[in-house]
Amino acid sequence: MTALVRAELRKVLSTRLWWGLLIGALAFSALQSGVTAAFSGMEAGPVQPALPGLDTAEAVRSVYPLSMVTGTYMFALVLGITGMTGEYRYQTITSTFLVSPRRARVVVAKVLAHALVGAGFAVAGLLTVLVVGGTVMSLRGHGLGLDAERLWPTMGLAVLAVATWTVVGIGVGTLIRSQIVAIVLALLFTFLIEPLVSLAAAAAGLDQVARWLPGNASSALMAPGDTMLDYLDWWAGGLVLLGYGLVLAGLGVVLSVRRDVS
Amino acid sequence: MSAYDGSGWMGRMVREGPQIDVVGLTKTFGGLVAVDDLSFSVRPGVVTGFLGPNGSGKTTTLRCVLGLLHPTSGSTTIGGVPYRELADPVGTVGAALEASSFHPGRSARAHLEVMAIGVGIDTGRARQVLDMVGLGEVADKRVGGFSLGMRQRLGLAAALLGDPEVLVLDEPANGLDPAGIAWLREFLRALAREGRTVLVASHVLSEVQQTVDEVVVLSRGRLVRQGTLEQLDSGPREVLVRTPRPDLLHEALAGRPMQVVGTDAEGRTRVVGGSTADVGHAAFEAGVELHELVAEPSHLERVFLELTEGGAA
Repeated sequence: MTALVRAELRKVLSTRLWWGLLIGALAFSALQSGVTAAFSGMEAGPVQPALPGLDTAEAVRSVYPLSMVTGTYMFALVLGITGMTGEYRYQTITSTFLVSPRRARVVVAKVLAHALVGAGFAVAGLLTVLVVGGTVMSLRGHGLGLDAERLWPTMGLAVLAVATWTVVGIGVGTLIRSQIVAIVLALLFTFLIEPLVSLAAAAAGLDQVARWLPGNASSALMAPGDTMLDYLDWWAGGLVLLGYGLVLAGLGVVLSVRRDVS
Repeated sequence: MSAYDGSGWMGRMVREGPQIDVVGLTKTFGGLVAVDDLSFSVRPGVVTGFLGPNGSGKTTTLRCVLGLLHPTSGSTTIGGVPYRELADPVGTVGAALEASSFHPGRSARAHLEVMAIGVGIDTGRARQVLDMVGLGEVADKRVGGFSLGMRQRLGLAAALLGDPEVLVLDEPANGLDPAGIAWLREFLRALAREGRTVLVASHVLSEVQQTVDEVVVLSRGRLVRQGTLEQLDSGPREVLVRTPRPDLLHEALAGRPMQVVGTDAEGRTRVVGGSTADVGHAAFEAGVELHELVAEPSHLERVFLELTEGGAA
């Protein structure tokens, strides 16, 4: 199994795609963190609620782990999707299953390898937000806030969340083998459909339903404090997100074993 | 398993590869029957040609043998074991299916190293097989820039990675230049001489004619012939006659055991049932003017076409 995971890691790292995704993830995380740090403590305006000040633990967690997850998770999702759809797009799946015809093991190895790379993205993202967010906070005359309540546990959970999004991507890529369709649908869902549904649900008082959606579960894991939607508890959000990952990865295993490769 | 190679007086031990057995294989896609109750065996130590026109079910059969497709019914084994249950698939069977199945952004060496790492083969072996197929100099170039011929060679390198006892190649000569085809021929024959089992699928008989010892001929998903190349090429040759008066030749042959069966692409009259001497003698006696009188050099191509066009009927 270790050999298969190493082979999958080599597969991911031997093309240039991961570089592009990592740069995108770091850029978005930096932007999100910088903007959050800059606007924390703002008074309520006509369209947005007041933001907690930088002296609160909540704001510090927003600047660091929450910004990293917000900036990184869709790149992690795309990383997972391409990890599977790329095999079908370039027909390397033939060679993959010839080398190890016990297909379930290969897919599990693929899930583990991508989760590792996703965790790597998250760690790089955390370093980025610490530098960018920390700089902006210092410029505004605040401390780095590294002793904020629950900051470090939340950082750990943030790494887990991003790794899990990568696993969700593997599952999506198995269900939808067309790379472009899978990516477009996944991004449409996370960027447009889920936020819109959540907004509508919050307005209609249907938080009980909307909070089970994967993006909201992921947000709940970061315990963001006062939000428009009534999130799950952080641990429940984590379990729900992990559930999405495991169910989709499980589907990926079953489908890959059953499918004809032609 | 090993066997004595009787070809050399010094004698050397060569290993004998396992046999490929296809038994009652049927594979349907939706309502379409791609392979229909197909049975044949592939022996070690010789090169076996797996022949049939495009769409006759060759690739489907190979993909079933390699555990990539689930047979609708029947079984395929290598040394008695289904591919998906082989203890060491890469060390047992090397396969090159299509020249397009590489990630264009990955280097040739990385492609092979991914395979090697997964099965615990030393990654140095990647460089070794690339040298064997003549790609040593482009080992670190991205596959996206490779010609079809180079991809074929890379596919072959991948098949050789585990030093397998069985080689399964689908249309390996596609995209190779004449020098490449000559090289491939020698390469495959050498591998077979080492006792390996070599199965080469092709839709062009002439491409593998000088390479293969045995043939399995497929048409519309069914086996139409299995045997040696000599067996396929045996049987009476046609006689080709060029004459300004084919009608008179026709009359001259009447009453003899010979018969005109048509004309070839060059307008020569095709005669069966006699040798060139028989035809020449008949024409001479009838006073028919002849401009050319030859025996057909080989009728493999014609037999192949007849077999595959006639289908399994």
